[in-house]
Amino acid sequence: MGDLGINLPGLITQIISFVILFVILSKVLYKPLVAMLDQRAEKITAGLEAAEKAKEEAAKSEEAIQEQLQEARSEGQKLVAQARETADRFREEEMAKVREDLDAERSRAESNIQRERDAAIEELRKEFASLAITAAEKVVKTSLDEEGHRTLIEGVLNEEGSRNN
Amino acid sequence: MSKILGNPRSLAILIICVAVLAVSILGGALGNTLGFGFFASSLPAIQLPAEKVTDGFNTPIGKWDLMNTMVTTWLAMLVLIVISLVIRKNLKDVPSRLQALFELIIEFFLALCEQIAGKEKARRFFPLVFTIFIFIVAANWMGILPGFGTVGRIAGPEEIAHHHDAHDYHDPALMQTTLESKESKAKSHASGETHGDDHDSHLGAVKLHVFRDYKSVPLATLSPGSLEEELTFSQYGENHGNVGEGKRAGHLVPFLRSANTDLNMSLAIALIAMVMVHFWGFSILGFFGHAGKFISFKSGPIGFFVGILELISELGRVISFTFRLFGNIFAGEVLLMAMAFLLPLIGIIPFLGLELFVGLIQAFVFAMLTLVFASMASISHDDGDHH
Repeated sequence: MGDLGINLPGLITQIISFVILFVILSKVLYKPLVAMLDQRAEKITAGLEAAEKAKEEAAKSEEAIQEQLQEARSEGQKLVAQARETADRFREEEMAKVREDLDAERSRAESNIQRERDAAIEELRKEFASLAITAAEKVVKTSLDEEGHRTLIEGVLNEEGSRNN
Repeated sequence: MSKILGNPRSLAILIICVAVLAVSILGGALGNTLGFGFFASSLPAIQLPAEKVTDGFNTPIGKWDLMNTMVTTWLAMLVLIVISLVIRKNLKDVPSRLQALFELIIEFFLALCEQIAGKEKARRFFPLVFTIFIFIVAANWMGILPGFGTVGRIAGPEEIAHHHDAHDYHDPALMQTTLESKESKAKSHASGETHGDDHDSHLGAVKLHVFRDYKSVPLATLSPGSLEEELTFSQYGENHGNVGEGKRAGHLVPFLRSANTDLNMSLAIALIAMVMVHFWGFSILGFFGHAGKFISFKSGPIGFFVGILELISELGRVISFTFRLFGNIFAGEVLLMAMAFLLPLIGIIPFLGLELFVGLIQAFVFAMLTLVFASMASISHDDGDHH
C-alpha cells in the first residue's frame, strides 16, 4: 500500500475534503439551482397552458366573429335584395303608370287628331263642294243643266271620299 | 500543394511550422543525444505516491504530511465553491451565462438520473453523482494547467534516499558542512563511510537531476532548457556531493500535482460512492432487503455462494473505480511529461486536447457508474433477477 501511495491520513484527508465539497455544493449550488429549475419548469408549463388557453379562446372568438360577419353579410345581401326588389317593383309600377298615362294621352291625342281630321275633311269636303259648285257654276254659266252636273260632281266626290277613307 | 507554396502567407506559415518542428526535435531529447538539446527539460522522477510538499504532524494513525495532490484537491474545491457562490449570488430567472452553463450541465445530469434511476430516486442520487462529476472534471482539467508538475522545490539526496527506505543515508554535500563542526566529525564521517558502501545498488542507480540553486528562492522548475546534467546516486557519492558552483542535485518535488494521480483521492471518491450506494440500498429496500442480496439462505447453498460472489464483486467495484480513474489520469500526466521531454514547445499540444477529453470522460464514467450502481442497489433482487 505504501508503494502505491495509499496511506490512512491522506485517504481520510481526501474523504473529508470530498465530503465538505459535497455538502457545500449541495447547499450552495444544487438546492437553489434545482429549485429554481423546477420553479421555472412550472412557470413555463403554466405559461404554455395559458398560451394554449388563450389560443383556444382566440380561435373561439375568431369563429364567433366569422359567424357574426357571415350573418351580417347575409343580412346585408338580404337587405340589398329586398331593396332591389322594392326598387324594381316601384319602377315597374311607375313605368306602368307612365305607360298608362302615355297611352291615355296618346289615345286622347289620337281621338283629337281623328276628330280634327274628320272635321277638317268635312270642312274640306264642304269647301270642296262649294268650290266645285262655284267652279261648276262658272262652267254652267256657259252651258249644261244643273241636274246633270250635280250627279257628276257627287259621283266624283264619293269616289274621292272612298279613296280617302 | 502548389497553391500553398504560391501564397506568400501560407508559405511563411509553413516555413515557421517546419522551423518550430526542427527546433523542437533538435532542441528536445532527441537532439540532446546529438549534442544539441538546448530546449530539453529533465524527465522528472516519476513515482506513484504523491510527493510531500512540507512535513506535517504525527497522528495516531500515522504521519500526516501535506501532499501536493491535497493542495490541488483544495484548489479544485476552492474553484468550485467560488463558482457556486458567484452563481448563488446572482441567481436569476433569466440566467447569466455562467448560470446558464451550470444549468445546462445540471439539467443534463438530472435528466440522466431520471432516465436511469427513475423520477423519485433521481433527486436522491443526483447531488453525489453530480459532485463526483464536477469535482473530477475540475481536478483533472486543473492538472493540465501550466505549472502543474513542473514547479516545485528540490528534494535533496537525503530525502530521496529516505524515500527509498535507506534510512541511514547521509548526504555527502551536507556532510561537508558537518565535517567542519568539530564535535560530530568522527561520528558522522564513520556513519557516512559505512552507509556509503552499504546502500544497495537499487538506490545507487537512482538518478539525480542537477538544478540551478537560487539560494533565496526555494523554487525549481522543469522548464525548456533546464536539462543540465544527470548523475546517479553512486556518482554523487563519489563526487562527495559536489555538482558544481551554484547548483544542487536532487529531485523536483512539484507543489501541484493533478489530484487524481494520487490513489488516496480516487480511492476516497470510490469509497464514498460505494458507501453511499449501499446506504441507499439499505434505506430504500430496508435492511434485510438489501443485505439479503449478499447473505441469503433462501435459495440453498448456490444462492449463498452467489451472495458471497456479489459481496466480492462489490469490493471489485471499489478497486476498479479507484484504478480506472487513477490509471487514466496518471498515464496522461506521464504522457505529457514524456512529450514535453521528447518534443519541447510543441509536443504536448495535441495531447493537451487528449487530456481534456480523457479528464471529462473519466469524470463522466465515474459519475455514470455510481449512478448505475446506485439504481441497481435500490432495486430488489427478487424483482430484478427473475423477470
